[in-house]
Amino acid sequence: MSLDRRQFSLSLFAAAAAGALPGAARAEGEKTIALMFDAFDSDFWITGNTILKAKAKANGWTTLESISNRDQNKQNDQVKAMVERKVDGIIFIPTDNNAAIPAIRTANAANVPIVFFNRPPAPNDNKYIAIQADNRKIMQITVQALVDIAKKQGGKYKACVLMGDLGDNNAVQRRDGALDILDQNKDLVEVVARVATEWNTDKAFAGLTNALQANPDINLLVSPSDSQDAVIEQVLKTAGKWHKTGEEGHVLFSGFDGDQNGYRLLSTGYMDVNGVQNLFYEVDLAYGAFKDIWAGKQPAQMLIDPGFAISQATLEAKREDMWGYHVWKEKNP
Amino acid sequence: MRRVLFSDYLVLCLTLLYVAAIWPFVPEILNPSNLTDIFLQVLPLFIAAIGLMLVLMVAQIDLSATSIMATASVVGASIMTSQDGYLAGSAWAPLAAVAAFLAVGLAIGALNGACTALFGMPSFLVTLTTMMFFSGAAIWYTAGHTSSGSSIGALPPAFLALGYGGVLGIPYAAIATAAIAVGVHLMLSRSLFGRWLFAVGLNPQAAAISGVPVRRVVIATFVLSGLLSAVAAIVYTGRLEAGTPILGQRILLDVIGAAVIGGVSLFGGSGKVSGVFFGVLFLSVVDNGLQLLGLSLSAVYAIKGGVILFAAVTDAVRHRVAARGG
Repeated sequence: MSLDRRQFSLSLFAAAAAGALPGAARAEGEKTIALMFDAFDSDFWITGNTILKAKAKANGWTTLESISNRDQNKQNDQVKAMVERKVDGIIFIPTDNNAAIPAIRTANAANVPIVFFNRPPAPNDNKYIAIQADNRKIMQITVQALVDIAKKQGGKYKACVLMGDLGDNNAVQRRDGALDILDQNKDLVEVVARVATEWNTDKAFAGLTNALQANPDINLLVSPSDSQDAVIEQVLKTAGKWHKTGEEGHVLFSGFDGDQNGYRLLSTGYMDVNGVQNLFYEVDLAYGAFKDIWAGKQPAQMLIDPGFAISQATLEAKREDMWGYHVWKEKNP
Repeated sequence: MRRVLFSDYLVLCLTLLYVAAIWPFVPEILNPSNLTDIFLQVLPLFIAAIGLMLVLMVAQIDLSATSIMATASVVGASIMTSQDGYLAGSAWAPLAAVAAFLAVGLAIGALNGACTALFGMPSFLVTLTTMMFFSGAAIWYTAGHTSSGSSIGALPPAFLALGYGGVLGIPYAAIATAAIAVGVHLMLSRSLFGRWLFAVGLNPQAAAISGVPVRRVVIATFVLSGLLSAVAAIVYTGRLEAGTPILGQRILLDVIGAAVIGGVSLFGGSGKVSGVFFGVLFLSVVDNGLQLLGLSLSAVYAIKGGVILFAAVTDAVRHRVAARGG
């Protein structure tokens, strides 16, 4: 070691400058909730975060946030950091359902209730609550509605199935839900392309473009998330296949999530069906579980959001339950 | 100024000063449980960074380290998982799985080394390609070995102990890491192969003329890098309790950054195990501090990226000063 006192002082000054970061506000409220996301890669999670924060504030609670950027190991470490911060509850959106189990153990050891929001862990013996949208079921009813429209229209269909990140259980469930129905209807629909988007719009763009070049007669499209809608619109426009329902060359199109783009495309006639997760209901379930646990009650371990499919035909009747409609309405007064 | 630049302990000093600077905002950083967490976080990252250091020392790069981790993780897990694993329920399953982890690391490392040294391909291109290929292969392999498709869980307790278990209060991961660190340090400072590494990194042509088997040395560094990535994968998989195809997907910057911050030259020919340890420690402490502060992900990335950029610039300056005969 060959630093003299002056150099040491300079280093101290530099480090102090780097360390003079804005400290997180100390919780003043009665309860502090950690909102632990893995990524904000779609409107669903961004809006979910907004609703979670708003409803926490309405309850008089403070929130701390973290994002792991789809790194489960980092997220498990972040849980430890939140436990150190003495939070009263954890809302947890993991990347991997198996690899999240150590995080539950960390929360259990500190006696902090942990609620898995929209992504349940793999079955395990630890204490947790899971709010679960039935992804496979919602995708099944969505694709079934799309197939019913195809049957009514008549003809044969060539389908492109877009998939999310297959390291994500939700993406796997949605893929399986879509294929469950398409496999039952092989006489009507032939799956000619599967595109792994990894929840990445660039990959979705390239994959769908390639699929359409290889199969220009694709006329049915299943999307795993409304986060891909803008890309799908762009690619179909470029390919000359962006037409409304009833117009010649319309591609039957289902979305998933129920975000503002999903609503916009349904209401303008470009999308036929959307699988909706009831985000407001899921937030209420999560916070209700915290209140029960703090009151000494034990809620059910698995709280299900059944979701629903919404189509152009049912849009008027069901849109109030579609979270994306409210986001859209706010932006389009 | 030059003495500061060339000090082996500069990064360690900065780590301590960083802790002192943020302690008033988040005193939790010095909680014993938090310090233990930091220590445990450092171990697998340190192992992977040592592997990368060896490759950097011969003026190459290995971008496939994290995809080696992912592939090894799912292959190993598929052998021992109680959910239809190849050796489900067998007492030999954990041992066979560990062997599979290491075999995957050695194989991919050998592939990287062979393409780089024998075919004269740029290691950046080779390892970028293998990174993409094996990342995809890991996801494909996982889909074929589990109903959920996202990861392979239900691993035997004997294997999970490698993540957090220990003997006499010392984690197995710490024992393995210490053994690797000491082994590599002795190899670099006391062995002929270590001297060959420095020689190849400093000037491969001169080394070849002097009788150093340059190609074999380059292949060996990639093989070692693959092997150490696989060892890191064992620790991570033990901790996560699952073989996951996206294991380590986001830590490549940390692995490279830790080595560079630790004084390993991107130009080859220099590197110390202790320096890499300080680099890993610094990044882990910075990360932990930023998590405790509750800063946004963008701020965390900006700060970490800035720190690594600063280290790379410092490395370039050091290199220039050394070239002038400093």
